Parts: sequence; structure tokens; C-alpha cells
Amino acid sequence: MILSDHYIADEPYYRPVGDEITLFEAAYAMRLPVMLKGPTGCGKTRFIEHMAWKLNKPIVTVACHEDMTASDLVGRFLLDANGTIWHDGPLCLAVRHGAICYLDEIVEARQDTTVVIHPLTDERRILPLEKKGELVRAHAGFHLVISYNPGYQSILKDLKESTKQRFCAIEFGYPEAEVEAEIVAHEAGIGPDAAALLVTIGERSRNLRGHGLAEGASTRMLIHAGQLLKHGIQLEAACRIALILPITDDTDLRGALCAAVAACV
Amino acid sequence: MHALRNTRLPEDGAAPAANPAHGGIGRWEVSSFARFGGGDRFDTLERQLAYFGTALWGLAPLLRVAAADPDGGQRRTSFSGPTILAPATFRGYSGAQGRHLYLAALAHVQAHLHHGGRRFPAGSLKPMQIALISLIEDARVEHLAMRGLPGLGHYWQPYHVAEPTASPTAASLMARLARALIAPDHADPDGWIAKARRLFFEAEPEWHDPANSRRIGGLLGNDLGQMRLQFDGLRHVVEPVYRDDNKGLWHFERTGDEAADDDALPLPARLEPDDGKPPQSGSPPDDADKVRLTPIDPEAGIPIARYPEWDHLIGAARLDWTTLVEYQPALGDAGPLALLLHRHHALLERMVGVIQPARISRSTRLRRQPDGEEFDLDAALTATIDQRTGLTPDPRIYTRFERRMRDLSVLLLLDGSRSTNDRSPVSGQRVLDLEIEAAALLARALERSGDLFAIRAFCSNKRDDVRYYRIKDFAEPHGALAEQRLAGLAGEYSTRIGAALRHAGAELALRQSYRKLLLVITDGEPSDIDIADRKYLVEDARHAAHALARDGIDVFCIGLDGEGENYLHRMFGARRVLHVDRIEKLPECAAALYVRLTT
Repeated sequence: MILSDHYIADEPYYRPVGDEITLFEAAYAMRLPVMLKGPTGCGKTRFIEHMAWKLNKPIVTVACHEDMTASDLVGRFLLDANGTIWHDGPLCLAVRHGAICYLDEIVEARQDTTVVIHPLTDERRILPLEKKGELVRAHAGFHLVISYNPGYQSILKDLKESTKQRFCAIEFGYPEAEVEAEIVAHEAGIGPDAAALLVTIGERSRNLRGHGLAEGASTRMLIHAGQLLKHGIQLEAACRIALILPITDDTDLRGALCAAVAACV
Repeated sequence: MHALRNTRLPEDGAAPAANPAHGGIGRWEVSSFARFGGGDRFDTLERQLAYFGTALWGLAPLLRVAAADPDGGQRRTSFSGPTILAPATFRGYSGAQGRHLYLAALAHVQAHLHHGGRRFPAGSLKPMQIALISLIEDARVEHLAMRGLPGLGHYWQPYHVAEPTASPTAASLMARLARALIAPDHADPDGWIAKARRLFFEAEPEWHDPANSRRIGGLLGNDLGQMRLQFDGLRHVVEPVYRDDNKGLWHFERTGDEAADDDALPLPARLEPDDGKPPQSGSPPDDADKVRLTPIDPEAGIPIARYPEWDHLIGAARLDWTTLVEYQPALGDAGPLALLLHRHHALLERMVGVIQPARISRSTRLRRQPDGEEFDLDAALTATIDQRTGLTPDPRIYTRFERRMRDLSVLLLLDGSRSTNDRSPVSGQRVLDLEIEAAALLARALERSGDLFAIRAFCSNKRDDVRYYRIKDFAEPHGALAEQRLAGLAGEYSTRIGAALRHAGAELALRQSYRKLLLVITDGEPSDIDIADRKYLVEDARHAAHALARDGIDVFCIGLDGEGENYLHRMFGARRVLHVDRIEKLPECAAALYVRLTT
């Protein structure tokens, strides 16, 4: 089977924070395209992997970037010794074989690339392959999911209105402190006290969002710090290399964050 | 207080080892403090302190440096409303110790701001009672702050070093009490302190209510009064050194200036006795008295240039018709402006978000692109050769031009004429205030984006006295001085805009930037007392703007008057006029401006 590598064998850990699983299942049942919104490292990708596992669906993930062209998504003719041969892109694969297609960080892609998903996201559910002269009708199992980080710094980089309005959206944020501590403890394999402390520290850096930092420390970063703790690194060093140094190069900010971390312990 | 020099503060200013309660996750050693440096003076530490305060409480502290204490006494931090005044240095604390003390002091004041209530009415309380209530309140807010952030204790406790002495004084007892309340495992034999400690910790469930500080402090004050201990309210200095002077906690009646106490610059760092007199405010800050923009002495202005003026009736320019005279801008009080900008922090962030990504420069050729307007000949040849030899060709065979860098000079030209004193029909705000606010916000956003910019203001008193003020130069960093000059603008005289445009354009023409932007912020129709024809100055300004456009200078106008469309459009062109009637619209306006500049 072509997409057999795209099934997720083991259950990815996901701690629901609201009714997002129910909502997603309903959207999936109706095959409504879904947009996952939220800051980086808050669990969007983990959520979709968990859902793919739960629904027992193959998932095709595409990390979007600004040099990505429509043919990177749809497919292109390549040359071989005998002439040209068509090669399906990831989106086309998912459409033909009924997978979940997950376009990660869709705003990074250029707007002319993004519009190729339009015919797939309304009741037509088709993907025209212009160069090949083929019209691919989506497999009944095909489901399109995109992720989107609505930073306020991206006023000039936003989805087209016509793209936005084709999706249902599920909003993600950093979970409540207790829930986040539970997640950090589980993922890093550390005790609940240490995890709660890391979450308190994380909140300090999130307070600086928009006041020097573009984003505060994400849940993913807190898990990294926890994993370092688990490995025997001292808390100070773990916070420094996992939470402070990666997010800023400003010495004043680093000094302030370091001092704020000391105030939490 | 000099005993504090012997504090048990570690050499590198690090917080002491962690509370064993968090065992199992390793000792906390902030040896990395020294690594991040930052000095021991307020001016070098200010940014770091602001970040620290924001990180802890989620609210950016409004920090100011306090005026030097005229009697050279030991200085303390102080706060009044949201404004926090810190001394320029803490004497006797250098290097990492200085930094540690500033962090501790800021954390303490912010604990007040976060957990404190309304100001206590001083009423007829004695100075000793005021000092004691303040002390209990200090301990209360610190304990509340430590509930969420237990590490704050390590910032504060090293400064509590008071030990029992043979002959206690009121001041020494208070210092010991402060220590006993913040370090509950510290033993003190004194009965009064034991009682205070019992009262304080019995009230723990009600710590959220500041009234408890008032109650406990009042009781303790009576006891201390009965001990017949001397207390010198005039010379009393709050101990330990990181605590603030407690002025921000009290509301002294009969001072008459209580209405202003939220925004006013606070008083110097010394607790005043409540003797019925208003607190002495020491020497007023240098910039406090608002001076009128225009010097009384006309000789203070220096004529610097003559410019022609366009007469639309004769269809020709009158040569050397106007004289541009440069005046020293007056300094105003930038305090309220800073407070305003502080409130508009989110707006500033949005503006920076709009301005920063705009690419304004000469376009550069990008080779080997997957798409573009033209073939990249080298890449196309390689691809064809690959194809002929049976290899997979690289599809990136195009070139295109793109703007990647940023090379822009901006001159903000502000209208300082009398009509800016009018109130806006939309918001009721004085137009000049809106103009100053908008300029200050734009300036901060430009500074953050790294664009070169200058600020000028103008007004006119007939054709031989077009007044021009240099608020900020291109080479000068945008800082407190420029904001004081902005705040010092006072709307006076008339609006002979053409001459000012020509001079600003001449200044911009000297800049070596790819794009040059002249941004005029004005409220209304140009006028001058020697001109009766309403069209005359409009046509002259239009002529000047056209001439600048021919020289490659982009002239845009931000109109603050909603009704000014007709003549502003006539002067600058409809596409180059943006309307802002509320400060909240400024980010949209900046976005529109940069979009028009880049397309």
C-alpha cells in the first residue's frame, strides 16, 4: 500500500485541554477542512498526529516555506532516460489515496501556492493537475488540515480571505498551568513539582511576549528543559540552554530572564 | 545602614542556594548572573530591569531615574501610581551587588503595585505609626509575592541583617522586626517583636486585605509608644536598602495635590512626618516647568535660508520671498508623554510589526530562482546540458529582482501652529496633543525599526519669519531629550507650510538613502496673517510638494483634521494623504503608508 509508511503505529501522547477532539472528529466526519491556530510549540502537530492515530488514517505532512511552489504540493514531470514521468506531490498523494494532508505553517507559503487547495476545500473536492491534464477526484477519506500561527507581527503576512473562509478553526493556546505541568511531567519524565516549577518559569518568559520577545517559551521548550533535568543537568543550566539562550540574543533580556528564573525557585 | 555593606551577599551578587523545599531538582545557583553583566548604574540596567519586571508580573514597569537627593542622604526607590523612581546609583553597591540590589528593589516595588490596595489615609497618624504600618505592609506584599514566586525571598533576605543590640532604638527595633517578618526562622529575643510576629502570621488567611497592615501596625505603634523610645520621623530612612520610601502607600491630606498623584512625579525618597504641612518636594525636576515653544527674544532665532514662493495668480515663483529662521526648541515635561506611550505599548508593537518588514531599497538580482520574469542564462544552459546528458535538470532557471534590504531616511515635519490648540470634533482631544503623541509613537517605532529619521516642527509669523525647530537630528539617537523637545511644542502663530516643506526637502536631499520620505503631520489649512487669499498658500504648498517629488522625495501627509480633505488632497495628492483622528488609527495609517511606499 502506497501510504503504509504514513500510518502512525503507536499512540502519540496528547492531553486534551477542551473539547478539541470531539470537534475535530465531527469536522472529520463531515470532511470539513480544519485550521489549527495557535502559537508555536503548543501542541498543534501532536494533536493532528494523535487524531490520525485515533482515526486510523495515514497522514501526509508538508512543512510550508516561502520558496514552495504549487508543483511542490501537487506534483511535477521529472525526466528519466526515456522522457518525462509524472511524479505526484504530497497533496496529490493524499487526495488520491485518502489520507489526512497536514499543511504545517501555511502562512509561510506564498499566496499563489495556497490557492491550489481551493477546489479541494469546497463541495467539489477535486484537484486539477493542469500540466498533466488530469482531474483528480478526492478519495472519500481525504481530509485537509492546515496549521496557522496568528502572530500579531504578521500583519503583512496573512492568509487570503478566500482561503480563510474555507476552514473551520480550532484554537490552541498554552494550556492552564496545572495541565501544562502534567504534560511537561509526562513528556520529560520528571516529577510534578519540577514540572510545575518549569511551567512557572515558562510563564515569566510569556509575560515578555510583545515586550521584547516575539513569543515566550513554548510547552515544547519546557519539555526540552525537563528532559535535560531528567538527564541530570542542573536546573539553572537546563533553563539557560533550553529556555533562555534560544529565544533571544539580547543580553539585557537574557539577564532579566535569568534573574526572573531565580525569582521562581 | 552602613552595616549593610557586610551583608551576606555572595561576591558575585548571586542569589543564595535554593530553598531545600524544592529538593530533588538540584540547587539553584545563579552563577550565570555575572555572565550577563549589565553594570550597577540605573541607566545601564534600565532595560534589563524593565524586562525583569515584565517577566515577573506581566506588566511593564514604568521606570524613571529619581532626581539626586539634595542633602546627599541614602536614597531609596519610590513609587507613585504606576511610576517607579529609582536612584541613579545605590552608593556602596557596585558590580553584581548593585545589579542584585536594583532587581530586589524593583521586585519589592512591584509587589506593592501588584498586591497593594488604595493609598492609606495618613489622617492624624503619628510618624512612628506611619513607619510601622508601612513596614507591616512591606512584609505583607512580600509574603504574597513569594507565594507565587518563592525565589523572590532570595532577592530580599540577604539584606535583612539587623541583630539584637544592647540598647534598642525605635529604628533598630523596626529593622529587626522587618527581618523577623520576612525570615520566620530567624530567632529574636524581643517580646515586642515576638508579639508582632504572632499578630502578623495569625492574620495570614486575610493577608490579601491591606487593612490588616493598618490594624497590626497601629497596635504595634501604640506598644512602641509606651516603651518611650525616641523616633525621629524626619531622619527616618526605611530599612533595608532595597525597600522603597513608602511614599506611594500614603495619602497625606491637606497637600492639595492628591488629584494628580497618579501621574505626578513623586516626591524625594524620604518619609515626611505628618505635621500638617504638605510634603516638601525638594528641588523641582529640571524639566518640570513647561516653557513656551517660542523664545521671547526674537534674536534667539537664526535666519538660515531664503526660499521662493509660488504665486498662483501670476503663475510664477517670487524669488527669495520667505525667510526660514531656526529657533531652539523649548523643553517640556516628557513624563505624561512617556506615560501615554507606556499605555499605548500594544499600538507601538503593531506599528513596529508594520514598519519593520517593509523592504525599501534598490532591488537586487536573485539568480537561480524557481520562477521569475527572465531566464538566468547560466542556469538555463546548465539545465539544457543536464537534459541532453540524461541528468535531472535543476528547475531553478530564472532570475528576478527583489528588494531585500532597507535604505530609508524619514523626516517628520510637525505643524506647530496656533490652530493645533483646537480640540478635535471626534475625540475632544487637543489636536496638538494628538500630533505630539502620534509623532512620539512613530519616532519610537522608527527607532525600533532602525530607520534613520529626524523630527522638525514649524510655524510662521509672516513671510520673513518662518520658524523651524529641530526636535531630533538624523544622527542623534531618539531618547529622552527628543521627547522633552516634543513635549515642549506649543501651538503658536500660523501655518506657512510651503517654505517649511522646501527646507525639509533640502535637508532630506542631502541624505544618501535610496528612498527619502517627508512625512508632514498637520491639522489644517495653511494660513498666515499677511495672506488673505485662501488659495495662495495651498497652491504654493502644492508647488513645493511637486518640486520635491521631482527630486525623488516622497511627500506624505498625515491629516489630523477630518474636514481637511479638500485642500490636503490639493496640496499633496489624494493618494498621499492619510487621515488619523484617533491615535488608535496610527498603525493602520503606518501600514497604508508603507504599502504605498513599497508598491
